Amino acid sequence: MSRFLVHRFLQAAALVAIMSFACYALIGLMPGDPIDLLLSSDPRLTPEDVARLKALHGLDRPLVERYLAWLEKAVHGEFGYSRLYAQPAAGVLWPRLVNTAALMGTTLVLAAGLALPIGVAAAARAGTRFDRIVNALCFAGISVPTFWLALILILVFAVSLGWLPAAGIPMARDPGVVDRLRHLVLPVATLALATLGGHVRYVRAAMVEALHQDFIRTAHAKGLAPRRVLWRHALRNALLPYVTVLALDCGTLVSGALVTETMFGYPGMGKLIFDAVMGNDYNLALLALLLVTALTVACNLAADLVYAALDPRIRQR
Amino acid sequence: MRRRRPILASLCLLLALALVRPGPAAAAKDELVIGITQFPSTLHPNIDSMMAKSYVLGMTRRPFTAYDRKWQLVCMLCVTLPTIENGLARPVDLPDGRRGVEVTYTIQPGARWGDGVPVTTKDVVFTWEIGRHPMSGVTSAEGYRRITRIDVKDERTFTVHVDRLTYEFAASGSFQLVPEHLEREAFADPAQYRFRTKFDTDPTNPGLHFGPYRIVEVASGSHIVLERNSTWYGPPPAFRRIVVRAIENTAALEANLLSGAIDYIAGELGLSLEQAMAFETRHRDRFAVAYKPGLVYEHIDLNLDNPILKDRRVREALLLAIDREKLTQSLFGGRQPVARGAIHPLDWIHADDLPAYAYDARRAAALLDEAGWTRQGGGTRLNAAGEKLTFELMTTAGNRTRELVQQVLQSQWRQVGIEVRLRNEPPRVFFGETVTKRRFPAMAMFAWLSAPESVPRTTLHSQSIPRADNNFSGQNSTGYANPEMDRLIEAIEVELDRDRRRALWHALQHLYAQDLPVLPLFFRSDSFILPRWLSGIEPTGHQYPTTLWVENWRDARP
Amino acid sequence: MSAPGIRRRDFAARLWRRPGARAAVLVLALLAGGALAAPVLAGLMGRDAETVDLLARLAPPSLAHPLGTDELGRDTLLRLLYGGRVSLLVGLVGAVAAATLGTLIGLVAGYFGGRVDALLMRLCDGFLALPLLPLLIVLAAIDPAKLGVPQSLAGGDDASIYRIVALVALVGWTGVSRLVRATVLSLRERDFVTAAVSIGAGPWRIMLRHLLPNALSPILVATTLAVGSVILVESVLSFLGLGIQPPMASWGSMLTNAQELITTAPELAVYPGLLIFATVVACNVLGDALQEAIDPQQQARESGA
Repeated sequence: MSRFLVHRFLQAAALVAIMSFACYALIGLMPGDPIDLLLSSDPRLTPEDVARLKALHGLDRPLVERYLAWLEKAVHGEFGYSRLYAQPAAGVLWPRLVNTAALMGTTLVLAAGLALPIGVAAAARAGTRFDRIVNALCFAGISVPTFWLALILILVFAVSLGWLPAAGIPMARDPGVVDRLRHLVLPVATLALATLGGHVRYVRAAMVEALHQDFIRTAHAKGLAPRRVLWRHALRNALLPYVTVLALDCGTLVSGALVTETMFGYPGMGKLIFDAVMGNDYNLALLALLLVTALTVACNLAADLVYAALDPRIRQR
Repeated sequence: MRRRRPILASLCLLLALALVRPGPAAAAKDELVIGITQFPSTLHPNIDSMMAKSYVLGMTRRPFTAYDRKWQLVCMLCVTLPTIENGLARPVDLPDGRRGVEVTYTIQPGARWGDGVPVTTKDVVFTWEIGRHPMSGVTSAEGYRRITRIDVKDERTFTVHVDRLTYEFAASGSFQLVPEHLEREAFADPAQYRFRTKFDTDPTNPGLHFGPYRIVEVASGSHIVLERNSTWYGPPPAFRRIVVRAIENTAALEANLLSGAIDYIAGELGLSLEQAMAFETRHRDRFAVAYKPGLVYEHIDLNLDNPILKDRRVREALLLAIDREKLTQSLFGGRQPVARGAIHPLDWIHADDLPAYAYDARRAAALLDEAGWTRQGGGTRLNAAGEKLTFELMTTAGNRTRELVQQVLQSQWRQVGIEVRLRNEPPRVFFGETVTKRRFPAMAMFAWLSAPESVPRTTLHSQSIPRADNNFSGQNSTGYANPEMDRLIEAIEVELDRDRRRALWHALQHLYAQDLPVLPLFFRSDSFILPRWLSGIEPTGHQYPTTLWVENWRDARP
Repeated sequence: MSAPGIRRRDFAARLWRRPGARAAVLVLALLAGGALAAPVLAGLMGRDAETVDLLARLAPPSLAHPLGTDELGRDTLLRLLYGGRVSLLVGLVGAVAAATLGTLIGLVAGYFGGRVDALLMRLCDGFLALPLLPLLIVLAAIDPAKLGVPQSLAGGDDASIYRIVALVALVGWTGVSRLVRATVLSLRERDFVTAAVSIGAGPWRIMLRHLLPNALSPILVATTLAVGSVILVESVLSFLGLGIQPPMASWGSMLTNAQELITTAPELAVYPGLLIFATVVACNVLGDALQEAIDPQQQARESGA
């Protein structure tokens, strides 16, 4: 078991290291640089200004050299300054991370909380009209372009009905909890509607699988109440694969949701990564991408370990 | 049924959240929420040049001089505008034979930083020190480097010695004061200055600004909150609090306005003209839309190294074959005036007698025939060698208005037998590589932003053609080289007499219209979406934002 | 060579019995037929999808323009049909390209096992750990010239289509490769494979003739499901300004463009939105039905439950 653990851990670490270079190189492959972009918005800039700024931001040095310099510092925990925000990259990242965790966490809890009862109910009535309707609704949710859904929600609930704010974050200086939550409703609803279908289908599939195992038949034969069999025995078995799926999904807790964030003016990680990549802000983009990768890898590892702990066949390997 | 309760409970919670609404808005507003489409990355006045930053800082600080809405240079932080006539500007001969100028300014007597410390000449000298330091990260350093010396007369009066005499000597818009008493420490290590400056590490420090408002909260990527600054020397502004909210998606921005989450959409960074016009027809009861044609010159750069485009007749035919008047009438309701050249009609130097090159498909066809591009039937024109008359028109991907215009032009050119293929790139590729390195094979459509009476040295002078051997510096991306144009540019820069300068400007515009290195399209209009109760906002039409006059804004309701 | 696989007639009958599948096939056939017939219809109507008519902007539906015109006076119906060609093509080719790449990698990993398998599967893990959207953005903004792609390919009218297909293939292969690998692992020790090895069949022959046919059904299901998600990915890229470039249109780009006019001309946003929605739902339903038709065991369980 411990050998397995060490092995998987080393693999994960190597993956993150390789990823850091891949990200750096990918950003380097993007054409143009932000100093040239400045020119188009400010014709007063002279050629000397451009050369000076490029040298200052290190954009005139070769890619590999810049990467190695970055790596050396990163190993010591220094992730450098964000070029766009002129602040330490970690400092820029932190508030966005909190925002994104709030948005994605609420969504995940809501989606999972709704998916469990719906999925179980559908599985218990597999093949009935109820099951088919749930299935159809799931497909509908999965198939809507997110930005379109967001726009419709804004138009209906914020503009026409005026029930909810259209922006994702309140502008008061010290917003109360209620105010924050009110602003979260529409973005969370958008994301939840878009992801709920997938969750319900996972739960349903896992439950259908569990309901056909021998011990369920035995439980029924023993004369246990059907509801008890469903919620106690079957659900417990179905939870393991579903929790694994959730664990794999937790990378999105930090990678955010670019489209939803853009539509609701929500300052989260998705938008930050997009802006950093587009603005050639290497330090910021790298730190954000690495964080997302590391967390995803860690979640995968955790899911593996949970599985290994619970499933004797894997442990023996 | 026990398990159903969480769903029910969460639905109830959702409903409750939807129905609990903050108390009704006060009748007379003392808070204004402005929506814009961009969030400023840094708030340092001299680092980076972003419209969103100029917009916010317009409320918190003032340049020495600025162009007002009548496009006249006026004093903001200074007491008297320096001119040669009033003796505050004095041309001098420099030892090396060139002509320089000495300009004297006096800082407004009541000007104090938000923490009560007076704005003094110490700040002026310190700002100059930062501006000319190569490691400080200041974006546009040209203005600072031209200054050879600053003589300090007293706390508030100083004389700037500039090593080059141009008629623009008083246009010091980029000279933005930095508080010496707060920033000296951060500048101890100039290379680290851009990371340590209080503008980014402590943006709500009241001592950083001296305008009618000061920044009290920065929610990165979302909004900036400003409140009245008690040390402001001018008339007190009407709104107690102003929130600037950034929402990038314009459809979402519009929805926020309609839902009341924001009060006003700024024209500097707001809806596209088409969107604003559509908005106006539906909501004119609640909102007024002000359109201001500005100094944003939409045009198509022609690559003059392209063998087909070298022929002036082809260039003229290209311009005659497109109906710009009809285009702006139908797409923009006539609100974006057709450009006859790079100089805006509202600019005092504009020549009114320039050729219009109005739509004339027959003349265009004749010119093309003459140039050897003939047409059989309705297809694409061919030359004697059987080659097609075809061009590639490039622009920025994702800019909807440009893409619309592009497709209209393509369609109109097809009528006269010119095949135009469209190829668009994301802005960072288009501006970062294609335009700056002249990699577009034929046509590139984009806009220049300029100030009133701004000399086109970087865009038309032959020394500004980007080449590999000058490290692709300069913005003359057409490759236009005409000694007469070079002479006119150099003469205009040093001509102090307005009448003589105007004559030179007219000659320059006629030469531009004659040579046609660029196909002029139109001047872009900004659209300001104002609630009926908001008054005092006067669009400028140039790069100085309306917020420089924020103290005039008020709620017009009784 | 009759590997244990799908008995075709049973399979088709089972598929057809499902009402969802019938509806999905009908919808997809209609959309594909419309897209294919677009040039014919354009010929009949005597107009094309790109000619601008500034005097007939945002015209209401009429005999000449059954669905009205767009903001440049182009026929909305024709634009939708031509947009469908692009969207469906991108979806189909993208999904097939991703499946092909995934199948190859899965076959190699599963058949050779050992080091090769470990390496390829770690690569797969790596791709799964990548944040998808930021990666797409970076890839979409990369300059193909820097990678040595010839200008004729990178600069052509269809460049944006190739780019999206390549992107989707690059990030979408992982799921299929895992499926194929698992199938191959379970088959590798079976008699018909060992028999083939013993008569001296080469590895590629075994992989393509014996293993691949048995993995086809999961690949088919995964690819069908992927078509829908590729169409959605294209619409998101269009939203970010990185999708199909004008004058070519896809449903995604039409939807994005219509956003700004949502209050004036909502129908311009409704049509492409509905078409995307219908296509993606149909692909998902069909994929689901295929899955269940292939695995009748599960169906039996369900009806018994």
